[in-house]
Amino acid sequence: MVEDRKLGNRMFSAANYLLLTLIALITILPFIHIVAGSFTTNAELAAKKFVLIPTQWSFDAYTFIFSTNTIMRAMAVSVGVTLFGTLFSMLLTSLMAYGLARRDLDGRLFLNLFVVITMLFHGGLIPTFIVVKNLGLINSYASLILPAAISAFNMIILRSFFQNIPDGLEESARIDGCSDFGTLFRIVLPLSMPALATISLFYAVTYWNTYSNAIFYLTDSDKWPIQVLLRQIVVLASGFESDSSLDSTVPPPDQAVKMAVIVVSTLPILIVYPFLQKHFAKGALVGSIKG
Amino acid sequence: MKRKSLSILMSGMLLLSVFMTACSSKSDDKQSEETQGTTKTETTQAEQTDTPKAEEPFPITIMLPLNIAETPPDVIKNEVEKLTNTKLTYQFFPADTYEEKLTATFATGSLPQVTYLKNQATFMSMKEAIKDGQFWEIGPLLSEFPNLNKLKPEILNNTKVDGKLYSLYIGRPLARQGIIYRKDWADALGLKAPETTEDLYNMMKAFTEGDPDKNGKNDTIGLADRNDLIYGAFKTVASWFGTPNNWGEKDGQLQPDFMFPQYLESMDYMKKIRDDKLMNQDFLATSKTDQTKLFTSGKAGVYIGSMQDVDSLNKDLIKNVPTAVVDTAALIKGPEGQQSTWSIPGYNNVVLFPKSAVKDEAELKKILAFFDKMMTPEVANVMYWGIEGTHYTVEDGKAKVSDDKEKVEREVKGFKDSVIGEPETNGMYEPLNTLPARIHADSELIPANEKIAIADPTAALDSATFAEKGAQLQEIMTDATYKYMYGQIDQAGFQKAIDDWKSRGGQAMIDEYNASNK
Amino acid sequence: MEQVVEMPEMKPMPRREHALAKRVWRNKWLYIMIAPGFLYFLIFKYFPMFGLIIAFEDYKPYPGKGITGSEWVGLEHFRRLFSEPDFLNILLNTLTLFAMNLIFFFPIPIILSLMLNEVRLSIFKRTFQTLVYLPHFMSWVIIVSISFVMLTMDGGIMNSLLEYFGFDKINFLLSPDWFRPVYIIQVIWREAGWGTIIYLAAIASIDPQLYEAARMDGAGRLRQMWHVTLPSIRSVIVVLLILKIGDVLELGFEHVYLLLNSMNRDVAEIIDTYVYTAGLRQGQFSYSAAIGLFKSVIGLVLVLFANRMAKRMGEEGIY
Repeated sequence: MVEDRKLGNRMFSAANYLLLTLIALITILPFIHIVAGSFTTNAELAAKKFVLIPTQWSFDAYTFIFSTNTIMRAMAVSVGVTLFGTLFSMLLTSLMAYGLARRDLDGRLFLNLFVVITMLFHGGLIPTFIVVKNLGLINSYASLILPAAISAFNMIILRSFFQNIPDGLEESARIDGCSDFGTLFRIVLPLSMPALATISLFYAVTYWNTYSNAIFYLTDSDKWPIQVLLRQIVVLASGFESDSSLDSTVPPPDQAVKMAVIVVSTLPILIVYPFLQKHFAKGALVGSIKG
Repeated sequence: MKRKSLSILMSGMLLLSVFMTACSSKSDDKQSEETQGTTKTETTQAEQTDTPKAEEPFPITIMLPLNIAETPPDVIKNEVEKLTNTKLTYQFFPADTYEEKLTATFATGSLPQVTYLKNQATFMSMKEAIKDGQFWEIGPLLSEFPNLNKLKPEILNNTKVDGKLYSLYIGRPLARQGIIYRKDWADALGLKAPETTEDLYNMMKAFTEGDPDKNGKNDTIGLADRNDLIYGAFKTVASWFGTPNNWGEKDGQLQPDFMFPQYLESMDYMKKIRDDKLMNQDFLATSKTDQTKLFTSGKAGVYIGSMQDVDSLNKDLIKNVPTAVVDTAALIKGPEGQQSTWSIPGYNNVVLFPKSAVKDEAELKKILAFFDKMMTPEVANVMYWGIEGTHYTVEDGKAKVSDDKEKVEREVKGFKDSVIGEPETNGMYEPLNTLPARIHADSELIPANEKIAIADPTAALDSATFAEKGAQLQEIMTDATYKYMYGQIDQAGFQKAIDDWKSRGGQAMIDEYNASNK
Repeated sequence: MEQVVEMPEMKPMPRREHALAKRVWRNKWLYIMIAPGFLYFLIFKYFPMFGLIIAFEDYKPYPGKGITGSEWVGLEHFRRLFSEPDFLNILLNTLTLFAMNLIFFFPIPIILSLMLNEVRLSIFKRTFQTLVYLPHFMSWVIIVSISFVMLTMDGGIMNSLLEYFGFDKINFLLSPDWFRPVYIIQVIWREAGWGTIIYLAAIASIDPQLYEAARMDGAGRLRQMWHVTLPSIRSVIVVLLILKIGDVLELGFEHVYLLLNSMNRDVAEIIDTYVYTAGLRQGQFSYSAAIGLFKSVIGLVLVLFANRMAKRMGEEGIY
């Protein structure tokens, strides 16, 4: 019996590893094409459908994009906005989520609905633009952060994580004389590391991907974050815009340059993940405290 | 009791909003300053020394679409400022979202003094606002400016709204479309340059079946086309068959192109090319990049579109196929031996001057004076070609672009699409072409094309239905055209699509155009 | 604050009022915590909602007209939408894609994270996670252009393979039958790995003692998965499901628009792409706003329904 189960477990494991490896491969192939493509010549890209290992190595694309400081400046903007934005958002979101997670709160239903409604009904671009303009945020970095400060989606997710924390823990904290703030910062947040890591990652990625707010609220192109440059190059190089009679006298950027920009603009946000990864393991804490 | 919790919230909100407005008022000023144009701290040394006039440089803020990867540095801007005694602030915005940006900026009354649109389509969608008096009329003032006065009247006419002129135009050759083909293949197969649509068909057939690259493999096709009925092959081919340009006159009445028999003939022609596998089968799902790739990788031998694309096509092609030779062709005769081709209205974009930013006529005149100077060869060359000696040199009275292509692309190209007029009117240099195919196109074919060009008779006409749902209606016919070429519907099916088009508003459009034509 | 309680109009129901006031006062810090978020939603989400009235106007986006000065047309735009001959078809296409998303996409991140949870080799787990998140960072323009190269009839990799194995070529890009599979596969490819993050976080929060107990009872790994892991992340799944349902009509405009063409329009035209051609591209802001409002109402109805179902199942729901 026991042997049987062990064998079954092992076979299950093997199949599992195999399947996951296969999935990883399928996922990564197009990305290898992009990385390889960024290191090759335009001629090779034109001749081949799919490049996995370049035959003509070339660093021209990288030399080209780093020959001015535009990309680096945009990266710096994005890193700054991502950093400050994520911190700011996490603060606001955690506070609100904790408040709304408390079942003994009067007006909770109203406040929750208040948030949910904003996920369904949108005022649209122009009215939002007017609000941002009247707050005097036009052309400031704050216009990339404040209008996106809380995502209702993230707030609701975090709230439901908080709700899953056993009430007993908070109760005992309060009996020990913790204020609501104390309970949140000393008990609830430390217990929710996996959720906080997740939501921080979501915010970080959202801020990293900031595009619309940047083109609408910034008038000074020196302040553009990386995604504006990325999209500009990708759209021009992909040729999907052709029907709009964007009848320019300027030929589109090289394919290799497009791929190099994709690589450069994706790397920093990818690095964030391994840093957060270790926090995903800390959730086990719940059990130990409770026990 | 609700009131209590509310009052706490309200006071909190008040506090926060006070705090918010407190920090906002400062940047608010900055913003309004910026729209006025008196901005930015870059004090160029050049300016201090090079302003002989006592007059202060006039500040102008300009909003325009960005067609290249990055916003250009100030090299060209500084030079233009020196030459025109202005203080310029360029606000570039990505071209692919430019319309949305334009609308939002317009709706909040924050357009700058000089507003470039994106293309003809954006101009059409602005017409209503123009009629509403949101922009300055410049027609009567034009005669005061000797250089602006040189702008071509027939093109100015195309940009008038209700007979009044509000805009300056960025000129484009009327009819650049034609054929770019592999001359080495044609020579190897003993073919001459195509002169009729039948020649063209035979060339595609030979390119597909005759193994033109002599590699013993059946791996070539005739035509590389893309998902674009207008700037791809179809419209150009159709105009060779004698189809009118968007609208044409039949029985004394304006009617859309697809109601003419020539349109059907052209669809049959393209259908045959596809059925005979002489072109990329998936052309409806082929982007311009992929289409270009088919040609530059040496797979396809014919490209129909702007003949001026030949330089960039050739550049990549000879990297892959060093022995390749390309040539251009146009003036293709239709089945009845007639020659015709379609033309654009002579401009690809316009500039408007919003009343919300330009306070009075005096300010408007100062801005127009800037554009007047832009139309001198001196300034136009700086904006189009760059600084002589750095970005280009002059040979035979033509501009030869410097070998440092990257520098040119970065510093100059962003301004290229904003130069008013065309070489004939602003006196800027024509490009020095070295590629024979391009010389052939520029010196012979394009001027000849212009002589046989048919214009769109509705360019200056109005239709309320078109303004409301033109794009949606066009989609019906675009779909039907592709479906016909792919053999999914027959003539009866196409007729049904036309009836559908008519009943959904097409008939109203016909009536409106004819009424405004009288 | 206490004094407010003594105000005369509070008299009629002194007891209950008093208790409520006390509770509110006790939880004052909670309200203060919520206040910044409340303000955010009020300023950046509710203030702009006054813009919704343009759905009932003939809105002109310029100074002098604007939201307050444009002509009132009532339900005119809704009438136009409902009388559109393709309206039903477009709505049906939208709902079909939505249903496919729910059925084929939604469970995949859950399954993937359950599988990943069974991996004991930490280096494998970490590498895998980092890799499968990659596609999320690629824009649709890139994904669609790569898949065009793979799927085209003109020498695409898929069709070359099919030909090699003696099958007929398939017109993936133009055939109406293939639009939906291509769409959903691309969605899965891009988002499945990314979607596991939330579930992995939920799984990480599970009390290890529960597994211990299950093992004591002799449960194998599959049974542990079924009896411990799944129930523990149930509430997260439910919340995500409701949120997803609320997003019913957000199917990725850019993605669908890039895949849409004349041949597959009968199945590929969804509300968002229709809004783009009929509304935004024509500068028909009011019409676009009306369609947006229509979408929001559908979303609202579905969310109310889903949330009620969740509550009936003993779940917390999203409000």
